[in-house]
Amino acid sequence: MRALTATRRWAALTATASGLAVLVAALPWLRGDDPARSVLRARLGEREPDPAALAAVRSDLDLPADPLQGAGQWLSRAVTGDLGRSWVDGASVADTLTNAAGVSALLSGTAATIAAIVGVLLAVPAAWAAAGRRRPRAGYAAAALAALPEFVLAAVLITVVAVNWRLAPTAGWFGPTHLVLPALSLGIPTGGLLARLLTTAVEATAAEPWVHTWRAAGSGRRELATALLRRAITAVVPQVAVLFVGVLGGAVAVEQLFAIPGLGRIALHASLAQDLPLVQGCVLFLVVTGVLVGGLGITAHRLLIGPAGQAAGLIPAVPEHRHSPYAVPLTAALLLTTVVGVGLLRDAERVRLDQRLGSPSWDHPLGTDPVGRDVLAQLAHGAILTVGTAAVVTVLSLLVGLAAGLRGGTARTGTADVLNALPPVFVGLVIAALAGPGLTAAALAAALVAWVPLAVHTRSLAEEVRASGYYRAAELCGAGPGRLLRRHLLPAVAGPVVLHALARVPATALTIAGLGFLGLGAGHDSPEWGAQLAAAVTYLERAPLAVLGPVAGLGLLGVLAATPGSGLLTRPPGRLLLRGLRPLHQR
Amino acid sequence: MTALLTATGLMKSYRSHPVLDGVGLTVHPGDRLGILGASGAGKSTLLRLLLAVEAPDRGEIHFRDQPVRPGRPGTLAWFRRAVQLVPQDPYGSLSPRMTVAEIIAEPLVCLRVPGDHTARVRELLAAVDLDPALAGRRPAALSGGQRQRVAVARALAPEPQLLIADEPVSALDATVRVTVLDLLREASERAGAALVMVSHDVAAVRRICTSVAVLHQGRIAESGGVEDVLGRPGSQATRDLLAAVPRLPSVPA
Amino acid sequence: MIANPEPSTLPGMTTVIIFTMLKLSGLSIRLGGRLVVDDVNLTVEPGQTVGLIGGSGSGKTLTALGVLGLLPGAAHAEGHIGLGGIELCGAPERRLRQVRGCRIGFVGQDALAALNPLATIGRHLCIPLRRHRGLNRREAARAAGDLLERVGLAADTVRAYPAQLSGGQRQRAAIALAVAGRPGLLIADEPTSALDPPNQAGILDLLRALPPAADGRPTALLLISHDLAVVARLCDRIAVMHDGCLVEQGDTAELIAAPSHPYTRALVASARALAA
Repeated sequence: MRALTATRRWAALTATASGLAVLVAALPWLRGDDPARSVLRARLGEREPDPAALAAVRSDLDLPADPLQGAGQWLSRAVTGDLGRSWVDGASVADTLTNAAGVSALLSGTAATIAAIVGVLLAVPAAWAAAGRRRPRAGYAAAALAALPEFVLAAVLITVVAVNWRLAPTAGWFGPTHLVLPALSLGIPTGGLLARLLTTAVEATAAEPWVHTWRAAGSGRRELATALLRRAITAVVPQVAVLFVGVLGGAVAVEQLFAIPGLGRIALHASLAQDLPLVQGCVLFLVVTGVLVGGLGITAHRLLIGPAGQAAGLIPAVPEHRHSPYAVPLTAALLLTTVVGVGLLRDAERVRLDQRLGSPSWDHPLGTDPVGRDVLAQLAHGAILTVGTAAVVTVLSLLVGLAAGLRGGTARTGTADVLNALPPVFVGLVIAALAGPGLTAAALAAALVAWVPLAVHTRSLAEEVRASGYYRAAELCGAGPGRLLRRHLLPAVAGPVVLHALARVPATALTIAGLGFLGLGAGHDSPEWGAQLAAAVTYLERAPLAVLGPVAGLGLLGVLAATPGSGLLTRPPGRLLLRGLRPLHQR
Repeated sequence: MTALLTATGLMKSYRSHPVLDGVGLTVHPGDRLGILGASGAGKSTLLRLLLAVEAPDRGEIHFRDQPVRPGRPGTLAWFRRAVQLVPQDPYGSLSPRMTVAEIIAEPLVCLRVPGDHTARVRELLAAVDLDPALAGRRPAALSGGQRQRVAVARALAPEPQLLIADEPVSALDATVRVTVLDLLREASERAGAALVMVSHDVAAVRRICTSVAVLHQGRIAESGGVEDVLGRPGSQATRDLLAAVPRLPSVPA
Repeated sequence: MIANPEPSTLPGMTTVIIFTMLKLSGLSIRLGGRLVVDDVNLTVEPGQTVGLIGGSGSGKTLTALGVLGLLPGAAHAEGHIGLGGIELCGAPERRLRQVRGCRIGFVGQDALAALNPLATIGRHLCIPLRRHRGLNRREAARAAGDLLERVGLAADTVRAYPAQLSGGQRQRAAIALAVAGRPGLLIADEPTSALDPPNQAGILDLLRALPPAADGRPTALLLISHDLAVVARLCDRIAVMHDGCLVEQGDTAELIAAPSHPYTRALVASARALAA
């Protein structure tokens, strides 16, 4: 199997980042609209701007008329630190970003620390169990935490800790106490994800033959557990970039919810106002940060491995297949189906202004929303909207993923690595800035991200088949490309990838809901779950129970999304998560 | 007698590390040539070149005086029909998703060999001493020896003029090695195909080959008739290979 | 629990009681309900070299893992495994940990995978040296160097990582690790099958001249292999496994001269047919 050397990973990383930068630079023209018009619309909401005003705007903001020239100009200025000026208030983008960057750095740094602590703490029992020849049990806690979307956790923390217990401020950015809840809601899910990666790596490592040798040599349990954990951490380090970029993505929702003046919130508002220079600046900033952290991960990996050499970078053996408890995901699915089934029979449209924000009652088991509609019915209709869109997105991304993955070629490997790390929120931000928010835009953003892991999975399976003895034998039997694809590649690849795609439906639904929550997806009066949660959060202090419906639904989805980590699909996602540690080995 | 396969001056390097350094050999119809060498001698690279999977950096391969150059999958059909491989690993070389009959018929289908494929498969199963009832089974249900018989049957299917065997018994249980080796010899004799066997196993080569070429550090150290080369080794490489063969202690009968 | 001691008569002496090194009696192993090792009876005397031969899937490796208490999770052993008077079958992990590396050493097939890629050879050797021989850090480092020289490696190999060694060197390091605790018994599972013929010969020679056990007696060897010629070259006795059963055992020369079980006969015939 071909793999990337560290140098090639760097090259891929920078190439993709430059590609993204060019794309970002061309954003104002990608809308197919005169930027000057956009500026006037952004500022005044005017429909028919007069030519004089347009010319004034153009000279005022120094807008070139031609896209190529414009992109070039933007890029060359960006290198010198000049990112242009906001279309809305004319403030310097670079200054706005610099002010916000400090806030974001503090928040995401704290969150990353929390994540590292949570991740390692959750992985220690796994290593201890594996060293004692027992199957790690800690996996489920990690999976559950990892499945929790940041915005849902944030909503829960605000409701319980800030509103009910009054232990921390609900919003704002005035001191250390304001840091606690946001950092927790960002750090805990990432910590769960890190723990999942570590646990998978520990399990895989425990299946490696050297563990046998150590045991046969009489190694003690603590000694072995430490060695296992060390090997697992080494294996996971190249993935920290992905995790950190995930933190940055989650920060958009968290900063919005807690009203923190960080980069994420600025990017979100700029996107909703279609203030493209600010969006450009934010995206550029995040891409550069991602590349730097990714590079740091690669360097740290090399340092950790040191003279142990290339073999140490080998991906650990695939852990034994385990029969996981199906009870939890099955219960979640059943509960979800029941709620949706019951709710669908109810009227979701009937507005009763006299029953606004009602508490749960016999008539309305989950209460009523701000305009007096039945929350249960809203939840069910929203489920159809959220999950249905996710299903369509999944089918599309499955086709694209299969096609892209089967085409093979190593050139795309690095690109896919980077795209794999791109949080859907950023894609959603850019698309909303270009095309305006909406369910279609959210679906498009989700699809743009969702095909990548499927393509990566397809490609790794296809590489395995291509390296197999029977594929080579078929080539020597004279099989042409068509037959190789039909008889050997597709049958081996299709099954697992389709299962993988199915398993990702809940995760995609969460993505769409997340975008909806930010206002980048379905409109605010839509029953789509994210939008519904956002609406409920607005009335949090008056009716804390209103967030329960959407939170419970999204939580159940989260449990389902976590299922591949423990269900029949242990193998593919586990391997995908660990792909990054396959950098330096055999070709 | 016109030669079947001629290779002249084959050179191949990987990352400027020479693996093959001017290898030439000739196979005539009816020959059974053993290519012996320790690991790292360049055996598998030579094999890939002979099978036209990879192109040599320098040197040429001719089959019945026609030049052979590797191409995309599905091309070079005339060569694929004339030269077939018996691979090393009978566990990996048979698709787990196909039945034995489908596997054996694969070259017939791919190379568009005319005739009744079902009858031909039955004939081939008999030729390698396999129960016809196995035709509908998948490889997972077969033992290592049976799988290697299937691989031999598949190689024989398009009636090749040359069989190339890559360590055909090294992955098999000790007790079935001899029978599979003998089968390979008999099958190639009966089908009138020449045989090239690449191996590190002196004993296997001695058992079924008529001539031998010893490969050492990318060159042919010595070649000739099996009795000559293995009986009176003229090079250190051959002596090392012979010395490494574990022997049973001689016991009075 | 004490296994039955074997009465043994030494010439010109009264009857004394000597523990056998390893005594398997009625050992069966089930893997997920399937009987994969069926009623194996085998003894290894102190200093003896015994070959356990069989094809893949014959249960020979599982037998060895059973002795070490390192069976995979789904496997379960029953019967008796007596090691110098101690019963190992069903013994608690704590007890087994004191036995492994100290009373029994183990060498596996592929030394690249068998050594932790992130630990130096010295770090590996420290496991038995410090745990079983109670050496401190400095003593262990010196002992490790001596041990490596004993197996034909340079003393400064202690600082090398497994990836920096060749296949033959790694296997030598693995043998050093296995005998570092001065065990009375070394179990070697296909120690040469991943190696080149010249390296194979070197490793076999090394196994023939193992350092003595803690009590000064030669280390007993249980050599597991699929290759009759390798086993015959090294072992006093040979036991043949086929389909989970121990079908035949006996003195090497006798067994090769007059194999009785059909599988053994096929093995001997095959080895003779391919004898160069």
